[in-house]
Amino acid sequence: MKRICISKIILVCSIAILFSNCATIISGSRQFVDIASEPTAAKVYINEIEIGNTPVQQNLKRNQEYQLVIKLNGYETYEMKLERKFNAWYIGNVLFGGIIGLIVDPATGAMHRLRPQDLETHRAQGTIFKNKSENIFIKVQMQNDTNSEKIGQMQRISTKK
Amino acid sequence: MKQTIKIVFFLVIIGSTSCSPKITSNFINPQPKLSIDQKVALLDVDHELPENIDKIGDLRFQDSGFSTDCSFNSLMNQARIQARKNGANIVKVVDKKKPDLWSTCYRLKIELYTYDGDVTSLPQQYQLQID
Repeated sequence: MKRICISKIILVCSIAILFSNCATIISGSRQFVDIASEPTAAKVYINEIEIGNTPVQQNLKRNQEYQLVIKLNGYETYEMKLERKFNAWYIGNVLFGGIIGLIVDPATGAMHRLRPQDLETHRAQGTIFKNKSENIFIKVQMQNDTNSEKIGQMQRISTKK
Repeated sequence: MKQTIKIVFFLVIIGSTSCSPKITSNFINPQPKLSIDQKVALLDVDHELPENIDKIGDLRFQDSGFSTDCSFNSLMNQARIQARKNGANIVKVVDKKKPDLWSTCYRLKIELYTYDGDVTSLPQQYQLQID
C-alpha cells in the first residue's frame, strides 16, 4: 500500500517537473518565420535590417515585436507588424501545477507566439499565413505600384524543335 | 485551494502584462509620422549630433520590475518606433545605465530630434541587430 502511494507521488512529481515550464519546453524561446512573396526575390527587412531576398527564413525571439517590410522594384512596399500573442502552452503550467514555469516562461519569452497584426486585412490583400507546427509561414502577394507603368512583357521562348 | 488559485492567477497576470520596460515620453513638438522610406539615425551617448536640428521630445526607459525585453538593442528599436510615430529622424541616447545589481535592464534617457539633412550620412550611428 505504502509502495503504491510513493510511486503515485513520484509520478505526480515527475509530471509536475516535466511540465514546470511548459511553453519553454514545447515551444522554445524562439520561433522560425518563413517569408515568401509572389513574385519572388523581393528584399525583406525586419526592423529596418535587410535579412535577404524571398524566400527567406529568420529565427526570431518570441518576446519581441517586429516590423516586417518587403520591397520589390515596380511593386508597392509591403508592411506587416509581427506582434506577440499569448502561447496557450503557458496554461500547461497552471494545469500541471508548474509554479516555476509561470516565472520561467515569461522570462524566456516562450509564453508568447508571433503572429501578424491585423491578419484579416493582410489576408484580404492576398497574404497567406500558416502555422507550421511551432513556426509560421507568411506568403505575400506583392501589389503593382500604381506609380509605375508597364512598358513591356518578357516572352517565353519555345525550345521545342 | 482558493488561495492557490488566486496566487496562480496573480502570477499569470503579472507574467502576461509586465514583460515590457516602462516607457515615459514627453513630446514638445510632434511632427507628422515618417514615411517608410525615411530613415532614422540611432546615436549612442558618444555619438555627436549634427547641427541645425529641432527637438521633438524625450523618452525614458525604466525597469518595470518584471521586464524581460530590455536589452540595449531592443530599447533602441522601441525608441526608433516612437521616433517614427512622432516625426523624429534622430534618436540620441543622452544617459545610459547598464544592467547592474539593482536591475537586469538597460535604462536609457533619450532625446528625439528632426534633421533636415540626410541622416544616413551621419558618420557615427548605432546599427540595430536582430537578437
